[in-house]
Amino acid sequence: MFGQLLIAGIVHGLIIGLAALAVTLVFGVARFPNAAAGDTMTVGAYAGFAAHRASGSLLLAGGAAVVAAGLVSLLGYLLVFRPLARRPVAALLVAAIGVAFLIRAVLGLIFGHQQHVFQVPLAWPIEVMGIRIPPMDITLAAVAACALAAAFGVLHLTSIGRQMRAVADDPDLARVSGIRPLRVMVALWLLAGAAAGVAGLMLGVKTVVSPEMGWEGLLTAFAAAILGGIGSPIGAVAAGLLLGVAQEISTPIVGFTYKIALAFAVMLAVLLVRPRGLFGRVEGVR
Amino acid sequence: MSLSVRGIDKSFGGFRALEGVSFEMPTDGLLGIIGPNGAGKSTLFSVVSGFIAADAGSVTLDGRALDRLGAAARARAGMVRTFQVPREFHHLTVRENFMAAAPGQSGESLFGLFLRPGRVRAEEAAIRVEAEATIELLRLAPVADTPAGRLSGGQKKLAELGRALMARPRLILLDEPFAGVNPVLVEQIMERIGVLNARGIGFLVIEHDLGALSRLVPRLVVMDRGRVLAAGAPQEVLADAAVREAYLGGMPT
Amino acid sequence: MEAYLVAIAIIGAIYVLLALGLTVQYGLTGLVNFGHVGFFAIGAYASALISMQGVPLVLSFVCAAAIAALAAWPIGLVALRLRDDYFAVVTLGFSETVRLTITSEKWLTNGVQGIPGVPRAFAGLGVGMPGALATLGAIALVCLLAALMLRRIAGSPFGRVIEAIRDNEDALRALGKDPARFKIQVLALGAALAGVAGAFYAHYITYLSPDQFIPLVTFYVWMAMIMGGVGRVSGAVVGALLLMLFLEGTRFLRDLAPDLISAVDMASVRLGAVGLALILFTLFRPQGLVGDYTRR
Repeated sequence: MFGQLLIAGIVHGLIIGLAALAVTLVFGVARFPNAAAGDTMTVGAYAGFAAHRASGSLLLAGGAAVVAAGLVSLLGYLLVFRPLARRPVAALLVAAIGVAFLIRAVLGLIFGHQQHVFQVPLAWPIEVMGIRIPPMDITLAAVAACALAAAFGVLHLTSIGRQMRAVADDPDLARVSGIRPLRVMVALWLLAGAAAGVAGLMLGVKTVVSPEMGWEGLLTAFAAAILGGIGSPIGAVAAGLLLGVAQEISTPIVGFTYKIALAFAVMLAVLLVRPRGLFGRVEGVR
Repeated sequence: MSLSVRGIDKSFGGFRALEGVSFEMPTDGLLGIIGPNGAGKSTLFSVVSGFIAADAGSVTLDGRALDRLGAAARARAGMVRTFQVPREFHHLTVRENFMAAAPGQSGESLFGLFLRPGRVRAEEAAIRVEAEATIELLRLAPVADTPAGRLSGGQKKLAELGRALMARPRLILLDEPFAGVNPVLVEQIMERIGVLNARGIGFLVIEHDLGALSRLVPRLVVMDRGRVLAAGAPQEVLADAAVREAYLGGMPT
Repeated sequence: MEAYLVAIAIIGAIYVLLALGLTVQYGLTGLVNFGHVGFFAIGAYASALISMQGVPLVLSFVCAAAIAALAAWPIGLVALRLRDDYFAVVTLGFSETVRLTITSEKWLTNGVQGIPGVPRAFAGLGVGMPGALATLGAIALVCLLAALMLRRIAGSPFGRVIEAIRDNEDALRALGKDPARFKIQVLALGAALAGVAGAFYAHYITYLSPDQFIPLVTFYVWMAMIMGGVGRVSGAVVGALLLMLFLEGTRFLRDLAPDLISAVDMASVRLGAVGLALILFTLFRPQGLVGDYTRR
């Protein structure tokens, strides 16, 4: 039983980790918690769903998710967040909520409110050491691993990635994102969007696709990003896994509804006790 | 009665901002702190005033150790600081800025406001008088009812000083009061500081304008790269070889 | 027709109370409270549950306000230590946790099924117009009192300090005043107003369920406050009015063409319109329709 929950937790955790990666990238560089990250995930899920329905290929679905979510994320930056760069963070917070709502509304109008399910072939669970693992979980884990590898590849092996990390490391540069080279920011928002898109697709495959799905995962993604340390991609993924496993394991004890409450409690605890999280810089939350 | 700063150390990550900084001044005295950019002057202010915690060392005011007190508590103990870039309450008028600074107002609690209206009214009247006097002292009457955010740089500096005064301090920490201010206003500010000092308020002043500072204070502390380089009367200190070297030609005529 | 007007006036007045609460928190003090609906929910459920134990309504209203204010206390303690952005996220989490708790603790709240049969305000006057008018009168009176109270606060030393906190918190600390005390009072006050609004809501609608207390409600109030003019008491009133125009206007639209636009589509249109309003006002008109908030 524990093993079962552990596996579910790992997959769940990878999804959270990718979403948290999207959050932490933007939070670390543009210096605000992007409330539209959740609905960007939903974009990825719907784009992937549409692509999969048309072609039957999960690979294409992944591509569609990455492209659609990345573009939506970039549009949000260019049209809304960039013009607001010098304003107090409250403006960015409110605008992000606005973007989130707008995305969700458009998706609702295009695709309707009913839940959609990915038509994937049924397959028998594979048994490993007494634990039954659905093959889809393995596929999803592989997808996540690839996405993470690609993301970290960009961050550590490309020059633009290095620039991104440099900006995240230097708090003084970070808040004045309006004067930073456009290229770095474009790459950042594309990357964050892509990560969110993959997370959304995975979530859609694993559960269902609905307009609310991303927003529901937002708080958990924030919690993971904070636990991992804002601005630390490694932290986001690690914290995502931790949180995912913790949520799954605690479900038999606290019940289904309180999963999000657990994430909230973790977030509060981190902010009050060790604000920089696991891997973050020593930077104030005050 | 003095401000005593002993052995202050502060590092940010690997960078040592302050190392063994010590000095002393009478609470109603005048002390200047100078040094090139990056010497740690503002960091020292932030540590002394309680905005940043030191790694080591102590700050004592009139015999009372301030080390465990936060910034607001230290201000209440009598040490009020200003900021290098003025931090005016930009939507409030100059008058309101001043009135907001006055301590001990019962009208600042919801209970006091609604349950003791008479007392609040009386206090407001008294504070208004005090604010008016401060406005007069700093010659800010023309802009007294202008939102502070709309003032010129020099006026903001004056307002910053005025607001600090309204908090009834024993000692004011002035962070670059003359920066970006026109020379006539600089003279005015120096004169006002002199007047206030004569009334018993001490001043610890960070400045780059060595000329003005040397005329204002009887003693200077020179800092460089987180350490105290020299301390003493302006003439001696500015003639010191190490000090000249630190400044690399940025000396006043 | 009159019944309809009274109904929207009551709902509008509820939003006025909510907007006043948010105005004192964000407009005057600068606290980015994204969890306002949480206090609304606490007030509604508290008053409903307490009055269903036989307690007279007036008392249950007072309890609702008090409990909501008490709930703000731990949030306040957290607020002291956090920057705007973290505070916003935490308050959002708070309101969602409230909603989830209501959903989960079925023994208390009946969960998703909700609580029907909440005692109606002025039940003695019957179900029709007299009762509704009395309710409207009561809530209008409370709105007036709240507006006057806020006006008094805005012009007072307390109001000065909280605006100082909004403008430059560190400068206030440098003057010897700790923002913490004030933030807690402000949060409690705003929460109490939201709690009273919740109580009125409960005893007017007479049916409560957790779905009525989703974050969208918080952002309706934000939209109202932004449109009306942040930081002004009049802004809260104007904003609530505009919000009602928006909500009823979109309902009319749908009534005109029920086949063209389904109910769920209308929900999406509303959501999108709120989102767009938040974006556009933030970008182009942050001071709201009524204007610059430097003058009261």
